[in-house]
Amino acid sequence: MTIRNTLRDHGQRYRPRMACLKKAEKLLLEMQDPKTGVKSQPQRLVITTIPHAITGEDIIAWLADRFQVDTQEARNFVSMLVALGYIYPLQDHRRLVIKPDASLYRFQTPYFWPTQQWPVEDTDYAIYLAKRNIRKRGILELHEQEHYNRLHKWMNHKWDFVVMQAKEQYRAAKERKKPDRVVFECQERAYWVVHRPPPGTVSAMDYGLDRLTDPNADEVTGLLCCSFKHYTPLTRSLCFLCSRRLVKYCSTYKSHDPFLSNCLPSNPWLTDDATYWSLNMPSVEIPTKMRVERWTFSFAELLSDPRGRDDFRLFLKKEFSGENLAFWEGCEDLKWGEAATMREKAEHIYKTFLARGAPRWINIDGKTMEVTVKGLKHPHRYVLDPAQTHIYMLMKKDSYGRYQKSPVFKDTVKKAICPEEHRYSDAQLQQNAKKRRPSLSPIILRQMEQEQRAKMAANVDITQVMSKLSKQGKEAPPPFLAPPLRNKHKRVMFRDFYRRI
Amino acid sequence: MGKDECKTMLDALNKVTACYRHLVIALGSTSDSQNLREELKRTRKKAQELAVANRTKLTSLLKDKSISKDDRAEYERLWVLFSSSMELLEVDMKRSLEIGQDFPLKVPTRHLIQTGMTGSTTTVAARAMSVQNMKYEADSNIDTADLRDLQCEISQVSQMMEEMEMKVQVAPWAVEAKQEAGAELKSNMSVGNSSVGVISICEEEPKEEDGGGNRDAGFASICAVLVFFVIVTVAVVLGYLVINMS
Repeated sequence: MTIRNTLRDHGQRYRPRMACLKKAEKLLLEMQDPKTGVKSQPQRLVITTIPHAITGEDIIAWLADRFQVDTQEARNFVSMLVALGYIYPLQDHRRLVIKPDASLYRFQTPYFWPTQQWPVEDTDYAIYLAKRNIRKRGILELHEQEHYNRLHKWMNHKWDFVVMQAKEQYRAAKERKKPDRVVFECQERAYWVVHRPPPGTVSAMDYGLDRLTDPNADEVTGLLCCSFKHYTPLTRSLCFLCSRRLVKYCSTYKSHDPFLSNCLPSNPWLTDDATYWSLNMPSVEIPTKMRVERWTFSFAELLSDPRGRDDFRLFLKKEFSGENLAFWEGCEDLKWGEAATMREKAEHIYKTFLARGAPRWINIDGKTMEVTVKGLKHPHRYVLDPAQTHIYMLMKKDSYGRYQKSPVFKDTVKKAICPEEHRYSDAQLQQNAKKRRPSLSPIILRQMEQEQRAKMAANVDITQVMSKLSKQGKEAPPPFLAPPLRNKHKRVMFRDFYRRI
Repeated sequence: MGKDECKTMLDALNKVTACYRHLVIALGSTSDSQNLREELKRTRKKAQELAVANRTKLTSLLKDKSISKDDRAEYERLWVLFSSSMELLEVDMKRSLEIGQDFPLKVPTRHLIQTGMTGSTTTVAARAMSVQNMKYEADSNIDTADLRDLQCEISQVSQMMEEMEMKVQVAPWAVEAKQEAGAELKSNMSVGNSSVGVISICEEEPKEEDGGGNRDAGFASICAVLVFFVIVTVAVVLGYLVINMS
């Protein structure tokens, strides 16, 4: 049996934005008033005349008058009603937009109104497609044909029912008079344009994840409702700080957000052209300008981008301080890796980076070293956290700044590409849609990643190791149990610890 | 045989479900009226009777352990048909309750949605009830009184479906459909005819009949009419000659 929506369904089925539906319904009822509602006129087809057609300009004018708003606002509002499916266009039925001229629209019957309670079933869509198949004698539109084939495959156990029901519904529809039949077909077609939009359009009923609470139900008041003036000064200042940070974040990232600004060359989800993704692959030779700009926003951005990390690694290699980054990466690997190999990893890291006379010894202060070595006796995932934080801050305060002024970075910036924006015509967009192919399998991507990592581990820079060993001969032995070295790195560390980062 | 009886009853249920959906779509629009509410009520009752009959028959057939594997597969297919019909019916009943409550008829300012549909749905209901003409005899407060009945019936139907799920162990995804893609194009009625006319009590042609049969029947009737006219013309000419000769 299929899973049905019973009363005991505690699943998440509501989306707060859809609270507009009930309000739109009330408005629709107001529009029907013969005296104060929208004026309707008959639609003249070849033989028949169908009443209750309304023009776009009439609806907009009525709404502007009703809510005392300007025409543009009313137009936006009506376009929302059309997109949701309360009013459907009679000419150009595929595009659910409102045209502020004499083009005709009609109200949708309440059965086909958008609701949240009654999810749009694939069974119904299959029946509709079968009916359309009968009517069009086998010639469906391309996307309809694709849907039909897909549903035939996935709903095969119900297909007999779909065919039977489609035939019966087709015959039942024929029982009505010609004008009503035409209206019914238009209604059903409009309903499915809203809920199964043709390619290149978006359904207004598309929303993200469902929520648990019903926006149309009564609100639970009390516990969480307190106004701003009841906050303590500390809470208030924290609120201000948070909002300031939020504003700063938004203004920094605004031009990088593909929703808010144009994605170069083009957004693959909109144009079906995957150039953007291939230009921004994790290990691409030449990064894009936007990507390189993001590396300058914060150190975390630089490290989280694999290409940025590669660039940084190159810079550190030239400075002979690549062990910091290697240590940091090793700690990340330990933290997020498998539990089975944890012990070996921890030992390997100790031998390579922390032990006295280690080949890639990192410079951390004595207290941290003590804590780390003690922890390594019983290693767990987070045993290297203090050391990792220290090294991270070190790189951030010291190397990051120098990296941004270095020739490596400047070279990368100069070579970075800025792709031209694509301008596709409708026909080209359809072509692109047909040529859609799945991207590389995640398994393959992971294998590539692992190969790269193995290559890097094998290629530990021999010159760096040699220079480290030679340096060790001149310096004092690492401060394992000796008192901490006074150096500027340590001062940097203490300062950073108490500053809120 | 049990199978044919089942199929006939399922066809009937299918037809009533389709007609009921058509009637519910007209609710709340300008073709809504007292009569529509009564039609809905009677169609619903008929659907429920058919549903109960179907369920009894199918449950008894499926519970029988001594049937062959092919038979069992066939009964499971019929079961999936039945349960899908019932799901559709249940959803339509719930929606008709909701829309019926939102659009009461007996209020001073009636706001029905001007959808452009102004005709009546009598013919659809007549098709559902398998009668030639519908007689309307309901009270004027049908829209409120009926809603209470409707709520009871909805709960009855939900209960029945739950019982069905519990008692009969059929895996719906294991059923293979007999119709392939595009099967609805084969048994197509000739386009342009409206089938207003006598609707027989006994069921439509069974699923297996081909569209080819329909087309041939059309040609045959045209040929027969032509031949008839030719014969009549010949007879008239001969008669005229005979009269002239005598």
